[in-house]
Amino acid sequence: MSTLAPARYPTLRRVADPRRMRSYDVVLLAAVGLLCLIGALLVWSATRSQLAASGGNPQTYLAKHVLNTGLGAVLLFLAARVDARLLRLIGPVLYLASVIGLLAVFVIGSTINGAHAWIVIGGGFEIQPAEFAKLGLIAAIAVLFGQRSANRPAGSPPAARELLIALLLAMVPLGLIMLQPDLGSALVVSAATFGVLISAGVRARWLIGLLLLAALAAVLAVKAGVLAEYQLARFAAFTNPNRDPQGVAYNINQAHIAIAHGGWFGQGLFHGAQTRGAFVPEQQTDFVYSVAGEELGFVGSAAIIGLFAVILWRGLRIAMATTDTSRYVAAGIVCWIGFQTFQNIGMNLGLTPVTGLPLPFVSYGGSSMFAQGLAIGLLQAIHRRSFSAQ
Amino acid sequence: MLRLLIGSLMLTLLARLAWVQVLDQNKPQQSAGLTHLGDITVPAPRGEIVDSRGRVLVGNKVTHVLTVDRSTLQQQPDQGAVVLARLASLLRTSATDLAHRITPCGVKVPAPCWTGQPYQPVPVATDIDNSVMLAVSEHAERFPGVAVTSQTVLAYPGGTLAAHVLGYTGAVSSDDQKKNKSLDDADTIGRSGLEQSYDSVLRGVDGTTSVPLDARGDPAGPFSQTVAPQQGSTLVTSIDADVQALAEKSLAEQISTSRGAGKPATSGAVVVMDPHTGRVLAAASYPTYDPSAFVGGISVADYQKLIDPAANAPLVSRAIAGQYAPGSTFKLVSLSDNLSNGTMSVDGTYPCPGSLNVDGRVKTNFDSESFGGSITPAFALQVSCDTFFYAPAVSEYYADQSRIQANQKPLEQLQAMARAFGVGSSPQVDLPADEQASGSLADRQSRLDRWNANKAQYCADAKRGYPDEKDAATRAYLTQLASENCTDGWRYRAGDNADLAIGQGETTVSPLQLATAYSAMVNGGTLFAPTFGWGVVDGSGKVVKTVSPKVIRTLPVSKKYLEFFGDSLHFQDSHSVSGALAFDGSPIKLLIGGKTGTAEVYGKQDTSWFASWGPVQPGAAVGTAKFVVVGMVEQAGLGSSAAAPMVRKVYEGLLGAAGKPMLPGSRPATTLPRIAPQHLQGPSTPKASTTASVTASASASPSPGRGPSTPSQSGTPDAVPTASTSGRRR
Repeated sequence: MSTLAPARYPTLRRVADPRRMRSYDVVLLAAVGLLCLIGALLVWSATRSQLAASGGNPQTYLAKHVLNTGLGAVLLFLAARVDARLLRLIGPVLYLASVIGLLAVFVIGSTINGAHAWIVIGGGFEIQPAEFAKLGLIAAIAVLFGQRSANRPAGSPPAARELLIALLLAMVPLGLIMLQPDLGSALVVSAATFGVLISAGVRARWLIGLLLLAALAAVLAVKAGVLAEYQLARFAAFTNPNRDPQGVAYNINQAHIAIAHGGWFGQGLFHGAQTRGAFVPEQQTDFVYSVAGEELGFVGSAAIIGLFAVILWRGLRIAMATTDTSRYVAAGIVCWIGFQTFQNIGMNLGLTPVTGLPLPFVSYGGSSMFAQGLAIGLLQAIHRRSFSAQ
Repeated sequence: MLRLLIGSLMLTLLARLAWVQVLDQNKPQQSAGLTHLGDITVPAPRGEIVDSRGRVLVGNKVTHVLTVDRSTLQQQPDQGAVVLARLASLLRTSATDLAHRITPCGVKVPAPCWTGQPYQPVPVATDIDNSVMLAVSEHAERFPGVAVTSQTVLAYPGGTLAAHVLGYTGAVSSDDQKKNKSLDDADTIGRSGLEQSYDSVLRGVDGTTSVPLDARGDPAGPFSQTVAPQQGSTLVTSIDADVQALAEKSLAEQISTSRGAGKPATSGAVVVMDPHTGRVLAAASYPTYDPSAFVGGISVADYQKLIDPAANAPLVSRAIAGQYAPGSTFKLVSLSDNLSNGTMSVDGTYPCPGSLNVDGRVKTNFDSESFGGSITPAFALQVSCDTFFYAPAVSEYYADQSRIQANQKPLEQLQAMARAFGVGSSPQVDLPADEQASGSLADRQSRLDRWNANKAQYCADAKRGYPDEKDAATRAYLTQLASENCTDGWRYRAGDNADLAIGQGETTVSPLQLATAYSAMVNGGTLFAPTFGWGVVDGSGKVVKTVSPKVIRTLPVSKKYLEFFGDSLHFQDSHSVSGALAFDGSPIKLLIGGKTGTAEVYGKQDTSWFASWGPVQPGAAVGTAKFVVVGMVEQAGLGSSAAAPMVRKVYEGLLGAAGKPMLPGSRPATTLPRIAPQHLQGPSTPKASTTASVTASASASPSPGRGPSTPSQSGTPDAVPTASTSGRRR
């Protein structure tokens, strides 16, 4: 056991050591790396002409994005060094930290795009605690089920009491996120939680009951006016994008136009008319996929979906190769990334309602990049633990 | 289970992606409202103004304009700094200056800045020479965003020819746009002369060049012409370029000759009119100016030079907007009155003393000349006896005074006759109303009105006694005058009526008015509103409008009296007609008739006049004359020594004394010339840029003449000041 051994910090030399690299899931790393590279190009394309037009440096966003990606990579390799068995310790800490972060938003937070979700830390950077809360909640519930499973016969499903505790644990950050309000993150958190529940073997009828309950809650929320005006408007626009082409549905329409005109091979990087013309708002963040659609075409956009599929496949593979807490964490992360990817690309394609969610590894934005770096790092840590043990 | 879930999510996305990008045939299009099709107005070339034989007086020429497309520059790695630097050295200016001029004006953007549409390529240099054009077009890759386009501007093939009549154009003001919503900032509008009065036909229909704009308002595609500009119609005028040139030359030469003889000869005018239609063949004014100074906007300094009294205000048309005491040429009016109301008969004889005491003042003939005893009206006209005309005017005056005593309205027959000849009311020439003088005359009411308005000033001046005036005699004179005006300024005296009879006192007319009056005499009594416009021909060569001669009134004078006047003043071999002296030795002397005028102007040299008609074969009726020519030279002395010799030159040229007659048939043109269909639409654009260039004539007047900081727009006046000198009582 090395739990009490002095912490060994990874250095670049050690990380790049091919022998050490063998302990990583290289396929997963490569897929993430490729997505980050594509993301940087897309963010650059989405921002350079606007920056130039306003007389600024066209590379401003690119530079910040590359820095964010670099920091995300550092976090990835730091997390990968963590002993997966330490998750039991880290889980509660992460959870508490993220709840504190979410609470802090209400004290020192800033409102961007209608959501009170950011903590500005100066220098043009801000932190979105909800991104980290996703990871924190996954870890906490996973730890909960992991500990309990040790006390029951192998293969038996978690008891109702465990499920209730898990749901209570989920309710706290979920509620805080809904208060911001950040519907997208709340949905992702729910999906991730659901993923952990599935992987933990919660009984199917309970899961179905939960889904029905969630649906009922959603209906009540709409009726009771819990959802913010803009969230409802987004849903209304989703059901009929032509109703208000200048307003809420503008984003959907413009992204649709951009992607539709990509065709098979796209209009070429930096050459998308919609992108150059800055027709799609939030194009470097939530709608970055529309840049890919327009400029890289079906081939490039499908490749992005393919890369996500690879990441999810490797994540599930890592989950299957391990047990208990590690497994639940891996499954939660996979559900998180999978659902967020589906939701983001889906809204770019007019398939799902518009909610403010970045495309993992691709969109501009520090917090999501850091949180996803940590998540992939944890997957790597779990992988290293389980595969080196074989 | 998770594998299934995740897999199905990814497959769903792929399927949807394939549908949106590849399978769906109804791709959504960017809606027009969002692409913001940017329109750039392409000003239509103005219609030409041609003379009565179709020769161009105002045409168009294509100049090359260098434009800079800001959005293309912005896409350069250095935001176009290198391109601007290259361009600056080519145009001999600074890159900073260019950068300022292409930046759209805004709250925080001080002038110089671009006042047009932000997406519109900004013209940075107009009328560029070929070396600049070649430098840009042959090295297009070194000048991304820079284009050579063309622009149509007014051109004056005759230089200063007929400048005052043609007028000029200026930039459209917001006031103009309030009156006419279709006017664009890039348009020009007639500001003076024919350009103003026929602006609606000369101004064409603007074209439009469109460019798709992105959400930021930057061009996102090539420019394309959506509406071709339509050139304005051609205005055919009654001006004959040769006659106009002849009149201007004769005028300039006479000014020079008079000055050589020691006269100030500050200004002058010549009007050549067709007496049977009122059409003006020539209207010369001295000094003149170059109308091309107004093309693209005139600076305030240049404009000030044109209206500077010290430079004799070249902008003012002496022929039409100037009004001067007509002197003895006015005897046409006096005699018409005397014969019509029966105070004289054509074969009676009346006294012509050397001097006459009128109401306590001694009024003399010129040089106190006396022709002894009584003379006929014909002889009185020929020798221009003033006292001959004083007597009936004074009688009229006292008759009116008697009527007033008897509580009757005064008849003021002389004034009525003067008004019938057009004095005191607009000549209604087809030029802007504020550019034509009405002339003036005094009567009882006008005297009273003026006195009521100025009484306080007269009395104050009389009291103060002009302490600023240096010359003691002048000071005394002015003080005396003010004192008289203070107490008796309301009185219209017998002497005033006498002054009126010989075109002195407060009597003034413009040379154009005198020409219409003499035309009425020649044509037997029809007073025309003179016209310059003759016809309007559209782009296809079709005549869309003919300006018919406009009759103002028929004179209340028997035709035989008018003929008597004309016959009396027809030149003979002898020198009996005062003006004939100036025609000695001329082969056309016996074809001409005319009346000289020498108007005294207080403090100035005499105004020299000559009003004439011809050609009239000896013995033929005055009505056979084809032309009326009025000449006027300010401060040049006797009518026979300046105006008449000047008019002689006009006739000699006109009638071909030294060769061929100037006009076919020695008469004004009778049919409109054929005007070829317009070919000047969009001049071909020398392509010179990687960016799309505006294909038709580029919009926007040259930037140096436009923009908020340059005063050119304000340099265009609303009213052209009129020159006026009138005789004063002495």
